[in-house]
Parts: sequence; C-alpha cells; structure tokens
Amino acid sequence: MSAGVTYSDEQARALGLRSSDSSGEGLARLRDIIGSATAPPMTVAALCEEYGEVCESAVDPLEIASALEFEGLGDQAVRERYGYSDVFALADEMYVQVPRQPAEPTPPEDPWHIGRFQPVLHGLLYGLPAVCFPAAAVLLGGPGAHAILIVALLASWSASQSLASLGYQRLGRTGDRGQAQRVLRAGLLAGLVLVTGILAIAMLVLHARPPVALFGAGEAAYMLGACVLLVLGAERWLLLVLLPGVLGSSLFLALGRPRQLDHASWAALAATAALAVVAALVATRRRSRPQPGGGRFRLVTGTELRNMLPAAAFGLLAAGLLAFPVVSGVHGRGGINVGALLATLPLSLSMGAAEWSLLRYRRRTRDVLRSTRDLRTFGRRARLALLTALAQYLAAAIALTAAATWIAFTTGLVRPGAALIYPELVVYLALGSAMFIALALQALGVRAVPVAACAAALAFELTWRELGLIVQLAACVGLLVVLGGYALGALSTAIRHAF
Amino acid sequence: MDIALAAEGTYPHQFGGVSVWCDQLVRGLRDYDFELVALTATGGEPVRWTLPPNVTRLTEIPLWGPTPPAAPGSWWLRPRSGPPVAELIDLLLSPPDEGQQRFADVLRGLLSYARVGNLSAELASEESVWLLSEAWRRRWPDPDLAPPTLHDATVAIHLLEHALRPLCYPAPRADVVHSVTNGIGVLPALAAKWSYGTPIVVTEHGLYMREHYLHSRHAPYRWPVKQFHLQFLRRLCMLGYSEAAIITPGNVFNKRWESRLGADLGKVRTVYNGVDPNDFPAFDSEPEVPTISWAGRVDPVKDLETLLRAFALVRAEMPEARLRLFGAPPQGREAYLDRCQALAEELGLGESASFEGRVAEIRDAYSAGQVVVLCSITEGFPYTLIEAMTCGRPCVATDVGGVSEAAGDTGLVVPPRDPGQLAAACLTLLRDSELRQRLGAAARNRALEYFTVDRAISAFDEIYMFLGTGRPLPMPRPGPDQIDADPMDASPAPPRLSVVRDGGSGLDGGSGLEETG
Repeated sequence: MSAGVTYSDEQARALGLRSSDSSGEGLARLRDIIGSATAPPMTVAALCEEYGEVCESAVDPLEIASALEFEGLGDQAVRERYGYSDVFALADEMYVQVPRQPAEPTPPEDPWHIGRFQPVLHGLLYGLPAVCFPAAAVLLGGPGAHAILIVALLASWSASQSLASLGYQRLGRTGDRGQAQRVLRAGLLAGLVLVTGILAIAMLVLHARPPVALFGAGEAAYMLGACVLLVLGAERWLLLVLLPGVLGSSLFLALGRPRQLDHASWAALAATAALAVVAALVATRRRSRPQPGGGRFRLVTGTELRNMLPAAAFGLLAAGLLAFPVVSGVHGRGGINVGALLATLPLSLSMGAAEWSLLRYRRRTRDVLRSTRDLRTFGRRARLALLTALAQYLAAAIALTAAATWIAFTTGLVRPGAALIYPELVVYLALGSAMFIALALQALGVRAVPVAACAAALAFELTWRELGLIVQLAACVGLLVVLGGYALGALSTAIRHAF
Repeated sequence: MDIALAAEGTYPHQFGGVSVWCDQLVRGLRDYDFELVALTATGGEPVRWTLPPNVTRLTEIPLWGPTPPAAPGSWWLRPRSGPPVAELIDLLLSPPDEGQQRFADVLRGLLSYARVGNLSAELASEESVWLLSEAWRRRWPDPDLAPPTLHDATVAIHLLEHALRPLCYPAPRADVVHSVTNGIGVLPALAAKWSYGTPIVVTEHGLYMREHYLHSRHAPYRWPVKQFHLQFLRRLCMLGYSEAAIITPGNVFNKRWESRLGADLGKVRTVYNGVDPNDFPAFDSEPEVPTISWAGRVDPVKDLETLLRAFALVRAEMPEARLRLFGAPPQGREAYLDRCQALAEELGLGESASFEGRVAEIRDAYSAGQVVVLCSITEGFPYTLIEAMTCGRPCVATDVGGVSEAAGDTGLVVPPRDPGQLAAACLTLLRDSELRQRLGAAARNRALEYFTVDRAISAFDEIYMFLGTGRPLPMPRPGPDQIDADPMDASPAPPRLSVVRDGGSGLDGGSGLEETG
C-alpha cells in the first residue's frame, strides 16, 4: 500500500545508503532533511488537517480538488492511500468533513497611507513659491508684464497637470517605475520647450521685457520639475530645491528689499528653478536596462493622451480662477491686487490640508462600505463624511488665512483698515473649497463635471469682469454650490467607492 | 477561409507555452486568414510577437482598461428594457448544476443588450449593487458565515462587469472561431456563435477553471466575492464546453475536469502539442560525466527542492554525478531561487549542482545531461519533455498532468514530491548506458510519431475544414475507457503509459533498485 514516499531505512539501503558508510552521520542528516520534508499524510483526517485552510475557505469541492492536484496528488495515489476512486471523490468527502469557516483575507495595504508630515510638507511645497513673487516684483514691470505672468501661470499649471497625469497613468498601468521615469523625463523636456516657446512668442507679441519672460520660464521649470519629483515620491528633494529661492526671497523681503541685493535675490530664484530641473533629471536617469523582451517601449499611447486632456484642462482652468482676482484688480481695472496676492499664499498652503482631508474622507467611506449592508445608510453616512471633510479643510484654510493676514498686518505689508482684503479672503475660501470638492470628484473618477463647472465659472468671471469683486464672489460661491451639490449626490453611491 | 483566434492574456502580447502554440498554428496554416482576438489587461500592452502575414486583423479587448464603447446611439435612445442583471445574480446564487440553460439565455440577453445599449454602464450601476446586496440578504445561508457587506457587493459587481466586457465589442466575423482558453476568453466566441452561427472550437492547455480555483486562494477578496465570481466562471466554462462544436484539450488528463464540468466527451478530441523536429535533431554524443539536466522556469510549481534532495541521494551513491539547472525565475519572484540555492548548500551539494541561468539555445540544456529530468508538481503537456524526447535524451519525469501520456514507456515516470523514487530512477539511467540509448531512441521515435508541430497543425487543418464548410466532424464514438486511452483520437492513441511506482516496478528489464540493493 505504501507509495514509497517516506524515505525509510529499507529504501536507504536500497539506494545504497548503508549506515556503515564512513559518511554515515552525514547521510543520517541528509535523510532527516529529505524525509521530514516529503512524508505525506496517510489518512483522510490528516489530509483534512493539512488542507484545513483550503477546505474551510473552499466555495465548492472542485476548489479542494484543484488544490490537491496542484500539490501533486493524482488519482492513483488517492486510490492507494485513501481508498477513494479519484481526486474528485476525495475532495467531495473533505468538503463534507471540514465545515466552512473562511479566513478573512489579509486587509489590503492602506492605499491612502501617508506619513504624518506629508500633508505639511505638501502644503509647504505648494505654498512657499508664492513668497518668490513679491521678491521679484522689481523684475515684473513694464508693458505686458501681467499678461506674460498670466500666460506663464496658465501654461505651467496646465503642462504640469498633464505631465503628472501621464506619469501616474504609466506608473499605475505598468507598475514599472523605469517606464514612468522615461515618460516623465521626456515630458519634462517637452514641457519646458513648449512653455518657453509660448512665452517667447507672447513676449514678442506683447513687447514685454525679457526678465519677465525669464521669470515665467523659471516658474514653469520649477513647476514641471516639482511635478516629476512629486509623482516619483521624492518630495524631500523638493524641499532642498526650494531652499535657495525661498530663503533668498524671505531674507530679501525681511531686509526691506534693498536695491543692492536685487541681483542676489534673482540669482537665488534662478537657482531654485535650475535645481528643480536638475533634480528631476537626476531622479529620472536610467538606472537599469529595460526588461528583456519588454516589447517596444511606447512613450505615450493614444489612451494616455485622451486621459490626460481633462487634467490639462483642469490645470488651465484652476490657474485661471486662481489668477483672475490677482490681475483683474480690485475694481476690475487691472493692476496687481495686493490683497488677492496675499490670499493666494494661504490658499496654496491649504492644498496640503485638502490632500489630508481627502484621504481621511476616502478612508472613512471605505470603512462605512465595509461595515454596512444597506445602501441608504451608506448614502447618508457618505454625505456626512463629505461634509465633515469639507469642514475640516475649511477650518485648516481659515486658520492659515488668519495667520497670513495677521502676519501681513503686523509686518505692514497691508495697511490696517484696508477693508477690501476681507471679501477677497471669502472669495478664496470659497474657491479653495470648490477646488477641494473638485479633487474629491476627480479622485473618485468624475472628470468631466469639475472641468465643465470650472470653465463655466471662469467664463462668467471673464464676461462680467468690470464688476470686479462681486463677480468673483458670485462665481466662486456658485462654483462651490454647484460642485458641492453634485458631489453630495454622485459620491453617495456605493458603486463609486468600490476600488 | 477565415478563422478568428481568441486568446486571453497570451498571444500576441506575452511569451509562454500557449503563445508559442498559437504562433505555430497561425504560421503552420498559411492558407487560412486569421483574425486575432486578444483579451488583454489594460490595452497598453505591447505586441511582442511579429505577426505572420496571414494575420489580417488584431482586435484587442482590454478587460481592465478604458470602459468599452457603448452601442452607437444608445446615449440618446435608451433601450426600453434593461439587461437581465437580476436573473444573472439569481443564477449565480443558485446551485451550479441547475439552470445552465437559463444561464445561456441570460448571457444571450446580455449580448443583445450590448448591441443596443451601454452594457458596462448598466452592469456597474448602483442598481446592480442593490440587486446583489438584496439577493444576498434574502439568500445568505448562515449569518455567521462571512456575512457579505456592501463593499463585497460593489467589488463583485465590478468584477462581473469587467469579465463581461468582451460582449460589448463587435463579435468577430469568421468561418470558425477558435478560443484557446475557456472562461472569459470564450465570450468573443459565444458572441460570434450567437450573432452569426459561427462554430466554436475550444482548446485548453491548462484548465481554466482549475487555474482560477487556485488563483482565487491568493486573491484579496472576501469569501462572498470569491464564491460569486467563481460561480460565474464555473457556469461560463460549462457553457463554453456545451456551446463548442469540438473541444480539443492538449492532453487526455484534462478530460477528467472537462467531464466533471459537464462537457460531452463525445466531442472531445485531444490534440497534443508538438515541436519542430528540425529544431531538435538527435544528439550523437552525451557528456562524459554522469549529468542530470533540468530546464525551465525557476518556480515553486517546478519543485526543484525535490530534485535537489533526489540529487543529494544520487550523489551519495555516485559522487562524480552532476546536476545542471537551466532557467531563471520570473521577474519579481527571485525568492524561490534563493531558497533552492540555500537548500543545495544545506544538502552539501557544493559545485556538483549548478544554477546556470537562461540558455540562449534550449537544446544546449538538454545536451548537457545524460538524463533530462522534469519534476513539476503540476503540468499541462510540457514542451520541455517532448523537446528532450525529440533530441533523443532519456527522461525522468513526475506523474502529473499530461506527462505520462507524453513519456509513454520511453521514459521513467515517478510520483511527484518523492526524492527517493526520483533518485532511484535517475540512478537507474545514469548507471546503464545501454538503457539510456534504448530509451532515448524510443523517446525520439515516439516524439517524431506523435508530438510534431505538423501533426498538431494538420489536426486543426482538418477541424477547420470540416467546421468551416458546415460538415460534421468525423469522430469515432467514445468507448468506455476513454479517459485512459482516448480511443476517439482520430489518430492511433499513443501506447499505454507505464509508470514507475513503488520501487520502480514499471520499468521492463531490471529496476535500478534491485541493482543497487
């Protein structure tokens, strides 16, 4: 009956492994290693125990049969060892003997895990560059300067959003970091050439001064480089990249913008832009040869380009909405609006809080989805979670704004009594909240609606721009109401939250 | 004549046994035009094979890529009635052996809906989630048995929607539709049959259902999701068998499962894999040192640990013996190689066992050994074995899948996971050069007779010819012992297999054990 699988003394002799051999001790050890690893269970009960986990989570006997066969058990061995006609009959018996008690799968790694300092870090990364604008104010004069700055802002936001979309798509689709690096590197260089070209044309058309265009190009270089580093998860480098520009600008501002330090502060800004590109190029340098047989590498596919379009459009529109109050002026007659410029800083900083709130929101809805069996309960709790997340974001944004306002007043950047700053702040808080909702919608796969709503809001602002603040307020609050209302409906369905 | 060849996750985007087989088939049947229908993952996979000139078209159906196109006009003219999702859910929660006809009707209903509406959007909807969670609430057998949550319902619905995506693409138009897998890969074929009456050929190398049972054990889904999805795949496989005009497994062994899943054995015809004999001419010499060689992917299913243990026994008996292992682990799963190397060290094998990585010419791996070993715990119909046989090398192989059919009585077949038996068989061959020569020559003859590409290709030439012109296939009636001997194979069945078990009794002439004892 024995299938001869245990490695018995008899067999050892048969194989010529006599214990009287000079190396007898070694052979005994060998036998231990071999014998213990290969002895199969000889009764059905023992087999059920060995395959306990398989049997407990089997959905039918065939699943057990497949596991038995996979471990090398065939019909003949089943007949000889256990007395059943074949593997299927044995599996039927095991399915009956072991009751179902499926193990819960190991909970998947939290896809939204972030370090404690990451939101703070991201907030700083988004916000700090805003310090550079006032420091470069001397550079940014002359005819067409505002137009150039707007063009630079729109082009670099749009380009960096597109690049991030391409990078994330490739990373998500292939899981191949090397491929994503190649895509990002090529995209970075293409983006730089494109934005610089657009700025050069704008400069010639608008008869602007080269320093303005150079500043715009530097901004684009920083944003594209930063985007590459963010996609690849190298935020820490970005902090280093920001160091010269932010330190230089802050010092320059703190010293009261002394004329003799103009060049030094510009050099510091240029250093940050150049460092961003260098760091991005280093982060995307080729480490290993492409996988053999990996097929032809396609830099970009049609699908990727199609998926990129909403991201590009959203980047463009968001930049437009953000820039509009700064340049339209207090009364819609142009000129830099200091209050608005000031308010962009806390708004940028608050994007770190937005990311954090969004992750908390997703984790909460996932937990609700896993613990409830009723769709209506889920809908109610999902709406509540969205409102909570929005409130969290808003609280962070208000705190940041209050801090920034206080600093602005105490340092004398804004005169006390300049009451116009308050409506600007409301506009920005509404815009920030709308952006937060747009982020949430995009994260859950709704792409067209945020783009369409932002486009409508921007068109509204542009059409009635002479009305100044009122129209901004109406557009941003309207955007928040529309997107918020839509999200409360669309994001309370379970199907949206499955993956 | 036009053939639509449907594959899932293999040809022409991936390398591997099934892809080699598809390529041989398409190149071998130059007079047929082929449309390739490739089920891919995301749709971004590169085509890795150079397509032969008789491939007229490549249709890619990404299961996990962008959502499939809705039927033209469906966004403004919604069909009056929705797809039969409730019926589908009801069936998938019913015992699998009942209602197979209703399942066929439901799938047909889904296909007709896909022709006029947006099937994917209707499936992945809140209403489907509601239907499933309600059905679970009504019918779940035991409140303590992994009670399904809303999350389970959404995941199960998403999996179902992705699996049914092939129905949203236009059905291939051809004279015969040949699916080289069952399961989801058979959906394009079903669409062709139900739309145009195209006859279906289903070929299985590995067994779709068995592979998915195994795969599901490591999937991250909770039990209700796993059960729901496996029930769907099981019903789909059963439907694939029942709708096929002919089922052509790559080995007789597969028939056990096919029969278990309700396949009519009267339309099963085994067509073995084959190799091109020109690529594997007979060796005229063998290495001086007694050497065992192994070639393949370094992977746990190949059970190299048993081989290493067996070799330790061989070496105790024959200290000059060598073991050469050719092959590399799949990307990202190098840990198994490390484990094997650690075991080799533990067994004190030293220089005598060498891991040599990939070889450019697989023939060199076979010529490196006096004996070629295959010790897998699971196999379909392994190329390694028939290639080594074609070269005239004697083989020792484990009795899994189609191995014993391939080797017949020209090789030594031992139980899997049994170092003692494997060692005994290897020693038998290593010690007896006359036996090696005899078995090697017999193996080559057997391979040249039964396992050539030409033979496999002409079998499909015949199948396509008959089915494509609407004639019934000439198939001998199945006999009572079909599972063992496969009498309805159009060609004479390979000789009965003989298996070395319990001390090597299957080998005619003396066994190694008696000689060593």
